[in-house]
Amino acid sequence: MSDMKTDLAIKIENLSVRYTINIDNKITMKNALMRASRGERVKTKVVEAVNNLSLEVKHGTVLGIVGANGAGKSTLMRTIAGILPPTQGRVSVNGKVSTLLALGVGFNQSLSGRDNIILGGLAAGMTLSQISEKTDEIAKFADLPDGFLDVPVRTYSAGMYSRVAFSVAVNISPDILLLDEALSTGDATFKEKSFNRLRELCEQARTILIVSHALSSLNELCDSVLWLHQGRIREIGKPEQVTDNYLKFLNVGKTSTALEDL
Amino acid sequence: MIQVFEPYRKKLPPLRAYFREFWRRREFASQLSIYDDKAEYLDSKLGKVWLVVNPLFLAGIYFLLVSVIQGRNGNTGFSTLCHILIGLFTFYFAQNCISIGAQSITRGSRLILNQAFPRMLLPYSSAHSALRQFLPTMPIYIAIVLIGKLIFPNANLPGLNWNYLLIPLVLISLALTSFGLALFFATLNVYFRDTTKLLNYILRIWLYACPVLWLPEVLTGWHRAFLYVNPLGPALAANSRIWIEGSTPTAAQFVAMFAWALFAMLFGGYFFLTREREFAIRV
Repeated sequence: MSDMKTDLAIKIENLSVRYTINIDNKITMKNALMRASRGERVKTKVVEAVNNLSLEVKHGTVLGIVGANGAGKSTLMRTIAGILPPTQGRVSVNGKVSTLLALGVGFNQSLSGRDNIILGGLAAGMTLSQISEKTDEIAKFADLPDGFLDVPVRTYSAGMYSRVAFSVAVNISPDILLLDEALSTGDATFKEKSFNRLRELCEQARTILIVSHALSSLNELCDSVLWLHQGRIREIGKPEQVTDNYLKFLNVGKTSTALEDL
Repeated sequence: MIQVFEPYRKKLPPLRAYFREFWRRREFASQLSIYDDKAEYLDSKLGKVWLVVNPLFLAGIYFLLVSVIQGRNGNTGFSTLCHILIGLFTFYFAQNCISIGAQSITRGSRLILNQAFPRMLLPYSSAHSALRQFLPTMPIYIAIVLIGKLIFPNANLPGLNWNYLLIPLVLISLALTSFGLALFFATLNVYFRDTTKLLNYILRIWLYACPVLWLPEVLTGWHRAFLYVNPLGPALAANSRIWIEGSTPTAAQFVAMFAWALFAMLFGGYFFLTREREFAIRV
């Protein structure tokens, strides 16, 4: 059992996540038999996504995570969510976790926004009665144009689609919310609304982990920022300080483009 | 609630916690199946009617092949048709459970990659779909039998009897066997993506190997072993015996069908559960 302190939401001890990816042809029985007949082995590559990482996140903390592509941010989030198993070390999580690691998970393109809110809620761990009670509230939050809630989501614009997906994730009252690249959802009005909802969740002492390249948003929302580099913690601390150092490392000026879209 | 995630090396997850979470989230599986079916038949004018029409057409074709060509009379021909019908309807239940289940993990890759839940919920959802596709065929079969009895009063088909109460037992054992096999093939499909293609051929041959187009009684002596080495054979033979002969299934049929159900669940379940935490890496 975990010896986790009660004020901690997440405790990560010496976590390493390695996985072997197949760089050969598509894995089929046919290819496997062909290879076996030629006496060849499958060509694989070992990816060290997270490397001996330890971290403690207290309840009510909003932690931003930055890092270049391939730094291990999404792998770390998936391991905390219990989606990917650790290769070494241990992750202890205290509370109900909600994830928004990709938009529209569990959604069916042929079904309406309303149906997909139910599907998304169920996929996120709610019961049918819980999500049925919340459907109107979530639909109101998504604030779709008139009549769109009951038409198939394949007819939605990308913005409308992501609004519904975001609304489901932030309205299911999680203890711990994991967001991956979800801050630039929707138009300016919806973005403001999303920020307000995240602030609300922070005030309710929810723990939020946000992976984003939108550095100014992280500076505004987070209590601290973690900079991941090649699967290791490069720096953790005050948001402005870490994002400044991260920008210097990337050798990019502090332009508005850089702050919002790195 | 504290959850701890640690490395695993092809070991079973803590089963108690796993099945508690499975039970808690069973509604997700059942609703996923309902909404999947809703989406699938949304644009089809005949919608779910196809689910009944398709096996009816097939039963008609098989009936022509195996019965009329053999020159049977109306009464025998009708009971043969009923045997083929109930056999096909029931076999399709097992087939759908296995084939939809086999695709469930790779088809649900976005869910697997982005949400944590007991992965067994996905094949379970497929089994739900198979069951919901199967249930409407039962009243159709009963209606055909009743109408046929009026047209062929001498048809050798049983009336209402106590043995019908055994049908749920047969279906449960068939469902468990099929679900266990679905777990096995769903896992295999993660490792070899052509498993489901191969499965289509296997299932077609499997249909001919099952007592659907032929009566179990045609196998005599040691040939009867052929019926029992087939995981779906004993249950389909027992099913036909109840519906067509109105008799209680033999002890051998009962023992074999429950033994297959137990074996399939244990083998398929173990294979699936010891590998499911790898799915997020491999899908």
